[in-house]
Amino acid sequence: MVMLTDAWLIARKDLKLEIRSRVAINQVMPFALLVLVLFAFALDPDRGLLEKATPGLYWIAVLFSGLLAMQRAFSLEAADGVTDALRLSGLSPAGIYLGKTLSVAVQLLVLEVLLGIGVAVLYGTSITGWLLLLVTIVVATAAISTAGTLFGVVAAGLRVRETLLPLLLLPVLAPVLIGATRAFESALSGTPSEGWPWVGLMSVFAVVYAVAGIFGFGPLMEES
Amino acid sequence: MSTTVDIAQATGTWPFVAAAWAVVFGGMGVYALVTVVRGRRLSKQVPPEKRRWS
Amino acid sequence: MTTETVGSVEASASGPTSTGSRTTMVLGIVTLIALGVLVLFGLILSPADESQGDSVRIMYVHVPSAILSYAGCFLTAIGSAVFLWRKSQWWELVAYAGAEVAALFTAFTLITGMLWGRPTWGVYWVWDARLTSEALLMLLLLGYLAVRRLAADYEVRAKRAAIIGLLLVPNIVIVRQSVQWWRTLHQTPTLSLSGAEIQGLMLFSLFTGFVAITLVFIWMVIHRFRVAWLEEQLEAEGLDTAIAERRAEGVIS
Repeated sequence: MVMLTDAWLIARKDLKLEIRSRVAINQVMPFALLVLVLFAFALDPDRGLLEKATPGLYWIAVLFSGLLAMQRAFSLEAADGVTDALRLSGLSPAGIYLGKTLSVAVQLLVLEVLLGIGVAVLYGTSITGWLLLLVTIVVATAAISTAGTLFGVVAAGLRVRETLLPLLLLPVLAPVLIGATRAFESALSGTPSEGWPWVGLMSVFAVVYAVAGIFGFGPLMEES
Repeated sequence: MSTTVDIAQATGTWPFVAAAWAVVFGGMGVYALVTVVRGRRLSKQVPPEKRRWS
Repeated sequence: MTTETVGSVEASASGPTSTGSRTTMVLGIVTLIALGVLVLFGLILSPADESQGDSVRIMYVHVPSAILSYAGCFLTAIGSAVFLWRKSQWWELVAYAGAEVAALFTAFTLITGMLWGRPTWGVYWVWDARLTSEALLMLLLLGYLAVRRLAADYEVRAKRAAIIGLLLVPNIVIVRQSVQWWRTLHQTPTLSLSGAEIQGLMLFSLFTGFVAITLVFIWMVIHRFRVAWLEEQLEAEGLDTAIAERRAEGVIS
């Protein structure tokens, strides 16, 4: 219970900071849209490639712009010795982990909705299979933010963190990318039954990382 | 595929077998050598009471 | 030259001058003999396969490398778990040694797999489930090694790497499952080991390959562990002398 109230505190603090600093709105969101536009340049929209590849491109755009958001979640802490302050605050490490995860997840969700609108408008995707799409978004977001927060703290406070985090995180998230893309494809092609196993796999992934984060955050916070 | 000359058909599979075995045996040899050399170099710098292999 | 003589004097009086010991010496000799037997059976005595031809000989080094790359990951995960649980440096170094050797064998698996694929399938790479998950395994191991080799305090490097090491096993399971589904949705798996009827001398060659490469793996992990141990001793000692020097300066000034 203490863990959950702590998580709520941290998530509120992080989101408040994010809203006030406006970095997410002014930089991360435009970057995400930029990625969509760049894909259109690379894959000529007239040849139908863009349409076929939409689910994959969507999730790659989410991953890349999500990386920016995740790196911010910990560069906030690294400055001004906030990490020490967090450690001294007496909040439970598991609570801090869950709070950070929640804040990253909320930012990712906003990003995904925006990118979804972008894809529908720019790529002319006709959206079907709403239930599967929404569940996929929720589960994939949980998977990305649980793993992203854990690896974010592994890379936090290091001089090489900007290059280290993608190296650590992207191979780990490969199953989520595959799963979310396939689930989207099956939803958009009108065969949602093929997508549900992927939702299951991503749920397992999210649970594994949530457990690892809840137990691993303590030792990680102790050091340095 | 059919228009280009296939290396495997032209030369047989032995070059691939040789290359694969060379990579594995060569790689193991180089890694073993590097590890042993590093060990010898480091051993000289560490006091003897801290390097007793049981 | 002088260091050599000092080294040999020390060796007789107080411990070895290398990462070798009597055990690893014996193990090394047995390993070399096993590798000789592998060459004899794998390249000379065993016949060519009816369908694959001579390229089946690649399997005698490819399959053992693949199995040991996974074994190395399990070793790393176990070592990381015990380190996080008991704070045992011994196990942390086992994990590190295991990961590095596993990365080496993963590289062997990928390269020999491609060299097998070219004459068999006509291309070096196909997006086969096994190949793809092995490639992702390589990237996961490189991530672990990147963290473990950070220029930071031992505590920081070891603890952060251990978290990644611990997650290697669930990652591998999830990656394999996802890649399997990903491929089977499009095509049937291109390579099936059970399909190839390996019998007689060929089975024996594969067996010698497994024994020989396992021995190499054990030998490498032991030596790599000792090198890692020496590195950490040296770093800890370097820190101690630096502190001592600072103290001495303080006394003088």
